[in-house]
Amino acid sequence: MPESLRLALAIAEKDIRAELRSRTALLSAVVFAALVLVVFNFARDPTVLPAIDLAPSVLWVTFALAAIVALNRAFNVEREHGALDGLLLAPVPRGALFGGKLLANLAFVGTVEAVTLPLFVLFFNVDLGSALPGIVGVTVLATVGFVSVGTIFSAMAVRTRFAELMLPVLLLPFMVPPLVGAVQVTSRLLAGRPLSEMLGWLRLLALYDVVFVTLCTMAFAAVVDE
Amino acid sequence: MSAVALLGLAGVYVLALDYTPVEARQGLAQKIFYLHVPAAWCALLAFSLVGIASALYLWLHDARLDRFAASSAEVGVAFGAVMLTTGPIWAKPIWGTWWTWDARLTLTLFLFFLFVGYLALRAAVHDPGERARFSAVVGILGLLLVPFIHLSVYLFRTLHPQPIVLKPSAPSLPPEMLRTLLVSTLVFTVLYVGLVSVRYGLALVEEAAEESDNGV
Amino acid sequence: MGSDVPQNGGYLIAAYVIAPVILVGYLVSLWRRLSAVGRRR
Repeated sequence: MPESLRLALAIAEKDIRAELRSRTALLSAVVFAALVLVVFNFARDPTVLPAIDLAPSVLWVTFALAAIVALNRAFNVEREHGALDGLLLAPVPRGALFGGKLLANLAFVGTVEAVTLPLFVLFFNVDLGSALPGIVGVTVLATVGFVSVGTIFSAMAVRTRFAELMLPVLLLPFMVPPLVGAVQVTSRLLAGRPLSEMLGWLRLLALYDVVFVTLCTMAFAAVVDE
Repeated sequence: MSAVALLGLAGVYVLALDYTPVEARQGLAQKIFYLHVPAAWCALLAFSLVGIASALYLWLHDARLDRFAASSAEVGVAFGAVMLTTGPIWAKPIWGTWWTWDARLTLTLFLFFLFVGYLALRAAVHDPGERARFSAVVGILGLLLVPFIHLSVYLFRTLHPQPIVLKPSAPSLPPEMLRTLLVSTLVFTVLYVGLVSVRYGLALVEEAAEESDNGV
Repeated sequence: MGSDVPQNGGYLIAAYVIAPVILVGYLVSLWRRLSAVGRRR
């Protein structure tokens, strides 16, 4: 177990360093997220619809779209450098390989989310207050969910002709439970509701993560091996 | 076999339209039920079989399983389309709205998206081995997504009580209706089997043609 | 009593027409694809 974990961390570190050097995935995703927020802001009439009602949905749609952009770019960068083939030749356990990719993608998407959240607070004048730790928590839970499925799907999509289209088509149905759960929890957190009202959704998010991270780890071999 | 099923379908039509009584509250449109529910059942059946065949394929690597999964997925799209068209056509006169995010409709909509994604992926991958493996992964993940969609809708509903709507399906069906429904479901299932066999046969023929093309 | 029943037969016809169109249409498309492969060989 520790051996696989060390391998996964090493793979993740390599990917993260490659991304930090070129920064293409990160920057495009952040810019995209900012654009989405701006559009949302201009699209609604602030006198009719108070920001707080729409806020959780806006935040999560932005996170979801930015995640797709980040996932697409991340695998494309790797495909251009042919890094995956080298790794596949080495006897790296495929589960560890998936783990490494997942951690790297989580780092990318997490960074985008970390930058987007303050922008969101700024543009929409949302008062986070004591909800912040909860929001961070639910963000982690939901992100792990859709990034795990996103990682395996982007590994597949990158081998097809219309990669940038294939990933959203495959991934969007899978993003719905984590997104719905995240929006529900976020809106309750912002409204200061007690924890008991969110437990059902939190359990859904946690269960989703466990099931899909496990499944994708096991299925990764089928995607990258002949 | 499909021809038989189609004849059976004609029989169902006669039954549904003539034999069953007209439901007093909902009028004639209620009879759409005899098409909509079996179609939904077949779509769900098709999808579950895709998921199971996918799991078995990844374990056994038998090409027949992959061919079956692909056939079932295509046929599932057809039944899903029937359900997604008859559903709103039924809902509009009965519930007053074309769409509602209740468990059944939402689930079928997602099944439809998953089927479409599955078929799109198959169309985009050329190497047969790769195509089979990738689709199998999507098939399994998709099958496991279904309970989560269900759970999400359930959680959503219990927290957001629906406005009072006319309940379309009475808990106890008069015997004629039940019988017609069962017959219709049987006929639809036969139709499913027939369509899948035809599609499977097509897959075999296409593969053989491709091999002889490559051999030349 | 008959006048109480909602007159929504139009929907019935729509659904009963669309459903077989889809199913038969699919079957026909399968047959056409089969003959197309047959012609190629």
